[in-house]
Amino acid sequence: MMELINTLISTMMSNQVSIPLAEPILELLRDIPLVGEMIALILWRPIFAALICPGLTVGGILLLFFPWIERKLCGRIQWRVGPHEIVWWLGGLIQILADTLRFLFQEVIVHKDAHKHYFLQFPFLSFIAFLLPLLFIPAGNIVAIESPYAIQIMLALICLFPVFILGLGWASNSRFSFIGTVREAFMYFAYEVSFIIAILAMIVLYGTSDMVSIVDKQSIWGIALNPIAALAFFIAAAMATSRLPFEIAEADQEVAAGPHVEYSGIAFGLIYVMCYEKAYVLSGLMTVLFLGGGSAPYIPVITDLLAPLLGDLWGAMWFVLKTIIVMTTLFVLRTIYPRYRLDQGLSIGWGAMLGLSVIALALSLALVAGGVIVI
Amino acid sequence: MEEGEQDRNIRILHSGVFSPLRRWGAKWSLWPCHFVTSCCGVELAHAFACGFDGERLGTLNMGISRQANFIIVEGTITRKMARALRIVWEQMPDPKFVNVIGACGQRGGIFWNSYNITRPSEIVPVDFFVPGCPITPESLLRGVRAVQEKIEGKERTTIKFNKVELPSGGELEERTVPTTPKLFAPTPEIKLDVKRSVDWDFGKELKDLLRKGLKGLYESITITDVNRIAIRATQEKFMEVAQRLKDIMKMDHVKNVNVIEVPHERKYVMEYMVSSYSVDELMPVIISLFTEIGREAEPEFPSLTSLWESANYSEREMHDFFGIEYKGNKGMNGKFLLPPEVDTPLRKDFKIEEEQYVFDEEAPITTPIKLPPDLVMPVPEETLEAAEENDEMVACIGPHHPGSGHLRWIMRLKGDAIVEIIPDPGYVHRSMEKLAENRLYIQNVPLFERANISDPFNMNLGYVRTIENALKIEVPERAKYIRTIMAELSRIGAFFYDCGIYSLFMGHSTGFMYAWAIREMILEAVVRMTGSRCTPSFIIPGGIRRDISDYVLDMTDNFTSAVHKRLKKYEDIFIYNPVFVARTKGVGVLTREDAIRCGLVGPFLRASGIDYDIRKVAPYEAYDKFDWEVTTGDAGDCLGRFMGRYEETKQSLSILKQAVDVVKEMPRGAVISEEALGEYKEASRDIKGHLYHAYGNLVLPKGEWTTVTESARGTVLYSIISDGESNVPYRVRIITPCWMNLRGIIEASKGERVADFWAIYGSFGYFPPEADR
Ligand code: SF4
Repeated sequence: MMELINTLISTMMSNQVSIPLAEPILELLRDIPLVGEMIALILWRPIFAALICPGLTVGGILLLFFPWIERKLCGRIQWRVGPHEIVWWLGGLIQILADTLRFLFQEVIVHKDAHKHYFLQFPFLSFIAFLLPLLFIPAGNIVAIESPYAIQIMLALICLFPVFILGLGWASNSRFSFIGTVREAFMYFAYEVSFIIAILAMIVLYGTSDMVSIVDKQSIWGIALNPIAALAFFIAAAMATSRLPFEIAEADQEVAAGPHVEYSGIAFGLIYVMCYEKAYVLSGLMTVLFLGGGSAPYIPVITDLLAPLLGDLWGAMWFVLKTIIVMTTLFVLRTIYPRYRLDQGLSIGWGAMLGLSVIALALSLALVAGGVIVI
Repeated sequence: MEEGEQDRNIRILHSGVFSPLRRWGAKWSLWPCHFVTSCCGVELAHAFACGFDGERLGTLNMGISRQANFIIVEGTITRKMARALRIVWEQMPDPKFVNVIGACGQRGGIFWNSYNITRPSEIVPVDFFVPGCPITPESLLRGVRAVQEKIEGKERTTIKFNKVELPSGGELEERTVPTTPKLFAPTPEIKLDVKRSVDWDFGKELKDLLRKGLKGLYESITITDVNRIAIRATQEKFMEVAQRLKDIMKMDHVKNVNVIEVPHERKYVMEYMVSSYSVDELMPVIISLFTEIGREAEPEFPSLTSLWESANYSEREMHDFFGIEYKGNKGMNGKFLLPPEVDTPLRKDFKIEEEQYVFDEEAPITTPIKLPPDLVMPVPEETLEAAEENDEMVACIGPHHPGSGHLRWIMRLKGDAIVEIIPDPGYVHRSMEKLAENRLYIQNVPLFERANISDPFNMNLGYVRTIENALKIEVPERAKYIRTIMAELSRIGAFFYDCGIYSLFMGHSTGFMYAWAIREMILEAVVRMTGSRCTPSFIIPGGIRRDISDYVLDMTDNFTSAVHKRLKKYEDIFIYNPVFVARTKGVGVLTREDAIRCGLVGPFLRASGIDYDIRKVAPYEAYDKFDWEVTTGDAGDCLGRFMGRYEETKQSLSILKQAVDVVKEMPRGAVISEEALGEYKEASRDIKGHLYHAYGNLVLPKGEWTTVTESARGTVLYSIISDGESNVPYRVRIITPCWMNLRGIIEASKGERVADFWAIYGSFGYFPPEADR
């Protein structure tokens, strides 16, 4: 028994996240029994990745503040201020906290026609399911599960998203959620194929589907190598997260938020952040595939100073930063575009996007075959 | 409202361990449920648009009741809407709060004695009232703050009443008690064809032509005014005359369907006003065809929908109002505009409450209003059955839906295609026509303006012009120009209103914000001119209330160029947005024939290729003095309709500029015609203090007076029937453009995809309070 624990601890110790800046404090804490073990556990790379970055903690913080960033930014673009009064000297920074609390303490209504159990289970299930793909995304060199099939597994998990949304709509059993759900299903097929082909193009290019080595291979960012794949991926991400101009399934003015129409209270709160979760996962994937993941550009002085101090966190920080930029772009789309009709969305998915992604694949094959890129 | 509901929600917040957190969360996260009930909604939208930005307070407008916790009741709640209000409130999760804005929501405001008004405070528990008609955005936000404070637990009474003892003795006692100033003739003589000698040569020709064409069918043909001809026919020959008018005179649409009840003569006068879009010379001419029928318990009359489909909805409306059965019209079972419990309200024996000038201590200020007995608004059985048979789905959109406006659309869908759309209007029907019969002519000025507060000047102008026409008042030149300026400002404002709503329907919130930013500037100009943002009631018979200052003129001038700049940005973000173009091009096409058949009006008619603009066809005010063009198109699709109005707005800006230039050069002088003022001539530059003296006893000459005015969304027709004795109108008929365009929406949506409905609906700029009146 003792032996087992010791081996475990030594495995953990051999694979710790190093943060030189925090080292003095950690050093002190390590000497305290139990606390020391706890810290070793948390700093163990897989656990750190799952719980802190890019996993739960960073995800949670993003979910709490990203809507605020989005609302503020949209406000700016639309000649107004956005949330402000709640703490005016921080520009309304904790607005989402208030919204969350409000949802938390609000009644959850299960209407007569709903399938009660599924109606209540789906929001929670999907909240968790949507976080799973994060396990495979490396933030710098911190990753929970490293696997040569990381991308394939992630894809499989991402493709599960719509299933949950269909579940929400189906359990609600109302007219608008029915129409919305059907729309979601249609859109799902329209973007999924090109989404997968775009990723395939990158796998061909890198010659591996291990996320960590993909990041390592990007001495030139993927977006520069195959911009077409990046474009196809980005559009597919916009479709997958139901962003305008493809906000077809949840069209407020048409089907009154579609699958979500009947949800209230904390159940809706979860659904509300779900779309940010989705965006986070897809943006993270995009960062890894196209933007060099956690690789940091060299900025004189700053890099010299900070990189050694932050250690592993340095890469993680860049990863999060890039992800936020991708997410912001994704969300700002809504201030620029009106909404397509379902059939137009479908024809873009099956037409232009499929074309784009196939071209992207061809480009990758040509690059590899032509020996321009040596894997 | 049930027992104990009043403070329940506040109590919920104040209970439990987590009470401070609950309160804090609820306070900063009041999401108003997007429930537009009436015209105050215009100002509500301003409060949440970029000018005032209600989101600063953490209140994010949310379309869905389940996710909101705050209702802002916008003004009037009619009986029909009362059900919806209660349902929406019940759908919302606890704790939830209600703000009522607008005078209408408190005691009915200007509609206080309407037969279709309820009080929201009797339906749902209200947390705060914001007064005003309409409220200003600032006061609305203040209302939100008040609710926030209430949640925190602060008591907030903003108005305190003091009881004062009136001094007895002296001057006060000598005054007589005022009695009702209204004079009703007991047995008025109602005559629609009062002859008027006018200088109208074409009219004489036309009359001869009509005589020949209708030989032996008519009883009399009278020229009642320039461009107005009245034909009296017997009931038997009525159909035939109508047929001839259609065939020979090319009268292709109905402008108005009217019924006038004359109880003391035991008769109804049935009237149709027809006109022609296909013959250019006949465009300004309105022929009124009427006959009399006996006043039986269940009167019947043949419907003219087989000849003119444009008469359809107006006939159904008359069926509601008078209980007349139009044989041949399919919509005769059930009510159209009215809630089920109100029957034939426009009959003279249906009495509404009278204004009281002296209060009885005991009597309530307004009589309590009975609430509708049940909360259901069922879908017609036939529709459900038909849908069932053909394997279709029936979806009801509205009246509470993020994209419905204040009416209900019943859609029959087959997959993604619309089989049929059935409108269910009347949720904002506030019985203007009935109220107008019980008010002085001058009191009706603000009343009719409320039909459409996004285009107030044109509503105002139309009514006032009718009175001026009847009294043959010549308006001073300066006033004419200023009225033109106002009408054009209002037209531009209404266009941007519709732009904003259209952008929202398309899911484009930035377009909404940009459009409303421009609207905000227009309102600023209006405020400086008149002192009111949306309801100035500035145009009065004989002119305008007072002159406007040079400084405001300069500002209006600058404003025209400022708008151009922002327009550019709006163009970039919305109008030329590829997605917008893709959504609207070729969608909802109405051909020229369709447009005429539906009796469309205004820019929507012009978009289908008919060159009909009253400002050109029968110029009024100063429109013939400017250099401008009518914009027409022939695509007839959503994009065409929108772009047509857009071009028109550019023309309006040019008219505005020209008019401002002229007014600046013009010497100051009277702005109210001295004829109209009578013995109060000194008020001709400013009516202040003399309004009721000068106009209180206005009596129109006997007859029917009809004018058409080109409002922002099309022709608005006022027809006043006066008995020549009473100082209240005997009957006022107002046909607003949206009411006529309703048919257009239905026709254009047939066979299109579901999502296209919003593209079509938005392109028509439908404003429900205007349509329902
Ligand atoms: S009439 Fe219209 S603007 Fe006035 S209070 Fe009523 S709803 Fe508001």
